Amino acid sequence: MYNKQHLDPHDDTSAQRPDFMPYQNNGGTVVAMGGEDYCIVAATTRLGLGFAIPTRNVCRYAILNDRVVLATAGMYADTVALHKVVTARVKVYQQQQEKPFGLFSAAQLLSNTLYYRRFFPYYTFNVLGGLDQDGQGFVYGFDAIGSGEKVKVVCNGTAQALIQPILDNQVEKKQQYENKQIEKWSLQEALDLVKDVFTSAGERDIYTGDAVDICTVTKQRGVVVETFPLKKD
Amino acid sequence: MQLRIPSAAVKAQYVDPTQVVVDPVRHTTSPLVTGGSVVGIRCCDGVVIAADTLASYGSMARFQNLSRLVKVTDNCLLGGGGEISDFQEIQRLLENLITKDFCFNDEHTQSPRSVHQYLGRVLYAQRSRLNPLWNSLLVGGYTAGQSFLGMVDLYGTTFESEVLATGFGVLLGLPLLRKAYRPDLTVQEGIKVVEDVYRVLFYRDARSINRIQVATATEAGVTISEPYSLETKWDFKGFVNPRSPYDESTW
Amino acid sequence: MIKLDVFQPTFGLDKEEENVVVPKEELYCSTPLAPSLRWNVLSNNAPKDLTKFHHGTTTLSFVFSEGIVAAVDSRASMGQYIGSGSVKKVIEINKYLLGTMAGGAADCTFWERYLGMRCRLFELKNKERISVAAASKILCNTVYQYKGMGLSMGTMIMGWDKKGPHIYYVDSEGTRLKGQKFSVGSGSTHALGVLDQGYQWNMSVEEACELGRRSIYHATHRDAFSGGYINVYYIGPDGWKFISHEDSGFDKHYQYATEKATQQQQQMSIS
Repeated sequence: MYNKQHLDPHDDTSAQRPDFMPYQNNGGTVVAMGGEDYCIVAATTRLGLGFAIPTRNVCRYAILNDRVVLATAGMYADTVALHKVVTARVKVYQQQQEKPFGLFSAAQLLSNTLYYRRFFPYYTFNVLGGLDQDGQGFVYGFDAIGSGEKVKVVCNGTAQALIQPILDNQVEKKQQYENKQIEKWSLQEALDLVKDVFTSAGERDIYTGDAVDICTVTKQRGVVVETFPLKKD
Repeated sequence: MQLRIPSAAVKAQYVDPTQVVVDPVRHTTSPLVTGGSVVGIRCCDGVVIAADTLASYGSMARFQNLSRLVKVTDNCLLGGGGEISDFQEIQRLLENLITKDFCFNDEHTQSPRSVHQYLGRVLYAQRSRLNPLWNSLLVGGYTAGQSFLGMVDLYGTTFESEVLATGFGVLLGLPLLRKAYRPDLTVQEGIKVVEDVYRVLFYRDARSINRIQVATATEAGVTISEPYSLETKWDFKGFVNPRSPYDESTW
Repeated sequence: MIKLDVFQPTFGLDKEEENVVVPKEELYCSTPLAPSLRWNVLSNNAPKDLTKFHHGTTTLSFVFSEGIVAAVDSRASMGQYIGSGSVKKVIEINKYLLGTMAGGAADCTFWERYLGMRCRLFELKNKERISVAAASKILCNTVYQYKGMGLSMGTMIMGWDKKGPHIYYVDSEGTRLKGQKFSVGSGSTHALGVLDQGYQWNMSVEEACELGRRSIYHATHRDAFSGGYINVYYIGPDGWKFISHEDSGFDKHYQYATEKATQQQQQMSIS
């Protein structure tokens, strides 16, 4: 399969350095929100490293097909590798089965892909968003080794602890003083909310900033990507 | 093409893989002979990458005239910092890659972007084997009227940008490069910018030397300059008397 | 000697069986990309958020005259951070089998999903349902292959088979125990206190479910790593049934508080 010769786990021909730590934290925040007939998947573009910013413009999302998008925070080299693996498998599936890859299948695929590296995990924090069979928007949030949950709104990455409570409060109307009805968010309202939470997180998290790529998934238009600028400090 | 770094342990394993348990010979657990920063900037008519010619052995300025810039193809060049022996291994790998292309004789050559991706995969694979190639690399090139500048590090992180720097240059060089960058910057101006960056680095980076090489990739192809010394100026007030009357520090 | 090969896992199947029953390609989602590590990367000062995945739980289940009741909370914590407050900790393996989830969420879901596959294969081969004992042993043997590598799983496999209701406790250390009453997780001690106090063999299904709910509630009250919602399942001769999904927060608290108050009043008036 994928360059098996090169990545053969039994190829023990090279020495390993036991004290080399193969992980690096490049930060990044990803948010996904599902609505009635749309889904938003957003990812910041800053690549952080310690207190430096080697570059301000990297791509942390992968468009799997015209109704499923994957966004990943964490170590960038692992992010790229994971996106390569998942997009390749989705392509192979779609060629062989001659039907599009569904959201549920993508979630299961991602979960398994992450778990197969249980003892040498991808240092990545994923959200997966898209439309299900009925055209309803849903998102999945995952931890680094593939435990995932289907939800309406989720945030992952360095600003998770800053953003997730706001999303719970605003979208799911949780922890409100008076129990409020969960209302339906229009696409525009949802986009505004996503932009707001990223702007706020950018003020308090050093790994969040520069810009955020917002992918909007709708049945009519497929995936549309817009780049929303954040503060560059 | 497979990257093999054999060790004594490998030979031992061929004897009886199930029985023999041998610790691998540890070549290096941290880089030994190292190069310092590499910086690069994209210009409207090409790309500029520069590196100084120092290879340090710990804190010793061991090799003072070592070229860290390489021509990969007629439109692609590579600059490397970090472990020098690993960098030379990377040079050999690229040579093999380019020779293979040449032998096919189909006039196909690697584009700068594919060289960048190739190196990214090689370095990622090696870090996944816990035996990284301890380098930070800048890949530059110019094809079809488009300049290219990308970076790879020892973890296999790959990205492209208008301005890039490695090592200490990330902290001291990048802000200068970002300030100087314009979309219509010419190669001639770009060379001036990187020279400035190296001057600053020479003043403040202990693992640097004021002898640099500048490489460019333009329509005309790749050129790598001979090493030359930068003009330095040591009569700044702060250099002459680092202790100001108000402050203990020179910052 | 058991041959341990993590990166070409047999998933507990014999090599021969594997070739006959399931083509290799179908067992793996992809060729494992992980290198063979002689050093455990995660033990070597790995990033904190990488080793801190979903953890912490209260789960319980017990057998009584009418069948089995399983009750769980729904909190998943990652260190100090509550990763999720709405986790489904009862995993539906098939119509007659349930598993609970404590420890690493990914470890539990992955291996219990795999157990579901093995149980289905058993059915297709043997034309009858797998017993709870056999199912739990498959899981136990599978995770035992990975012992010492850092899996974290404490689960109860529950079901109704030919011989009636059974509960087996299986954990990632390789323990497998049969029993009548189990509680697993950081809040298990609190839950067991309530459960033991109120348990009777002859209970109605409603009483049993309420006992499970009450036990989990008290665990969520006293254990910081438990909370969220309380899910209750009942297993009878016709398979499992989902009973309830309730918030363990204010409403439950005041419901129990008023019940307690009225009880005390009654006792006072009697004396």
